[in-house]
Amino acid sequence: MKGLLDKMAAVLRRDLLSALRYRNGFLLTAFASAAELASFYFLARAVGPGFRPEGVEYFPFLLVGTGFYTFLVVGIHSFLQIVQDAQQTGTLEVLMTTSTPAPILILLSAISAFAGHMVQFVIYVGGGLLLFRAPLGNPNLPGCALVFLLSAAIAVALGILAAALQLAIQKGSALLWLFGSGTWFLTGTLFPIETLPRPLHFVAELIPVTHSLNGIRLALLQGANFEALRGEILYLATFALLILPVSVLVLSHTLRRARLEGTLSFY
Amino acid sequence: MRMELALADTIIQRLPASTSSATETRPSFTEMDTVVLDSVTKRFRHRPALFSWLSRERSGETRALVEVSLRVQRGKVLVLLGPNGSGKTTTLKLISTMLLPDSGRVLIEGADTCLRAGTVRKHVGFAVANERSFFPRLSARENLDFFASLEDVPAKIRPARIQTMLERTGLQDTANTLVMKFSSGMYQRLAIARALIKEPSVILLDEPTRSLDPASTACFWNLVRELADQGATVILTTHSFQEAVAVGDFVAVLHCGRLAAYQKIRNIEVEELRSFYFQTTGELNHIDEFR
Repeated sequence: MKGLLDKMAAVLRRDLLSALRYRNGFLLTAFASAAELASFYFLARAVGPGFRPEGVEYFPFLLVGTGFYTFLVVGIHSFLQIVQDAQQTGTLEVLMTTSTPAPILILLSAISAFAGHMVQFVIYVGGGLLLFRAPLGNPNLPGCALVFLLSAAIAVALGILAAALQLAIQKGSALLWLFGSGTWFLTGTLFPIETLPRPLHFVAELIPVTHSLNGIRLALLQGANFEALRGEILYLATFALLILPVSVLVLSHTLRRARLEGTLSFY
Repeated sequence: MRMELALADTIIQRLPASTSSATETRPSFTEMDTVVLDSVTKRFRHRPALFSWLSRERSGETRALVEVSLRVQRGKVLVLLGPNGSGKTTTLKLISTMLLPDSGRVLIEGADTCLRAGTVRKHVGFAVANERSFFPRLSARENLDFFASLEDVPAKIRPARIQTMLERTGLQDTANTLVMKFSSGMYQRLAIARALIKEPSVILLDEPTRSLDPASTACFWNLVRELADQGATVILTTHSFQEAVAVGDFVAVLHCGRLAAYQKIRNIEVEELRSFYFQTTGELNHIDEFR
């Protein structure tokens, strides 16, 4: 356990130092987030106070939806990005021959990326609520944390699958882009899924991100208790329990295959 | 024992008649063997991409290694020689678990790379030829610190170990420079430092002096001999006969993925090795034309 924490610290230190040394990237990200917040604020004003999806004002609905959606999808993408970067810089083969097992290494790197995205998410939502004085009821913070954790677990599993895909076909980003665009449209990020046609509404209900967004909005914006969150929590927990072991198995199999076929460093 | 002798015979049978000289030595088979390749075959299959007819891409396979058997004892330096594409780097990758064999076995300190890859990785340090395999926005020291933690080097002794490796590879003055500012030679030295950071019992070096200046090369040769004298098993690939003679105890010549010769080379002359190599591979020695 001590060794694992030591490795986690090393990965966090590596990513923090690298991020800090890309100063311009930091500034650009901050500027892009501020511009996005402003555009959502004015979009909500243009739509007017009459539009209250799921009983809440449109700006906080958008803010929490886009913020959490971005956190999840960028988190999933970071797994793929880690593998892709390592393939391109040539570090992947070296990392795969260290004493640390490959799945743990990928997981540690992704946790580090997730930590960074979580900070961004908190700043984005908190900043948006404060700056634009969006009303916040009496949030159910433990419920929020539970939905957050379960959603993050699902994102980790999907991220591991994305990493495996990158190892297997070297073009995992194309499929992830497709997934990202589809879920953006279907999961109720910008508008409630009830407005979708019936078949699409059915598909939207199957996507875990829909339940993540719904759960986090219920807990954060409406202060829904655990009884009201039960459906979302059950769906997310079941999905996480099913997909996590599958993703680890798929990654191990893909890594072994890549070692057999000599395609570890292909990109 | 019978199997081991049979294995030795296989190796000797593959030697061309012209190389069957008195200096030939069979690989010895004792408990001192730290690296064992037993009839190892490795093929790379090429699967054509979608719409391959547009680029006239063909499927097929490259036989990178064909039933290669060799053994290296503890504290010895084996030099792998061979033309480009003969299977030298593939051999190192198989030993490091970067690749898995299609058939045959690779054993490191008795552990099979297919069955106990984790154990193997604790014993093997690999300096790859890819000089860019570092994190560019980290300094040399920070890169080594990161890899040392992944290699389970205890946090207490890590700074001292890193300092030692930086000094051994002549990087102590540039330890805090971001590696994106490094030259090829400095990258190469850092790769060697990284391979040594966990003090492995088996050290793999892929063309380690390719980008080094003559003085650094000589220092590196001393380092290799020092490591071997301390009990490490070193396998290095090179195209330099001078390097092979300077550091090697044994040479294995690979040609078209096959082990063409396995020879003791301690105390032999560079010219002797050069003519042996060209006889073994059957390649034309154009170097004579420039004399």
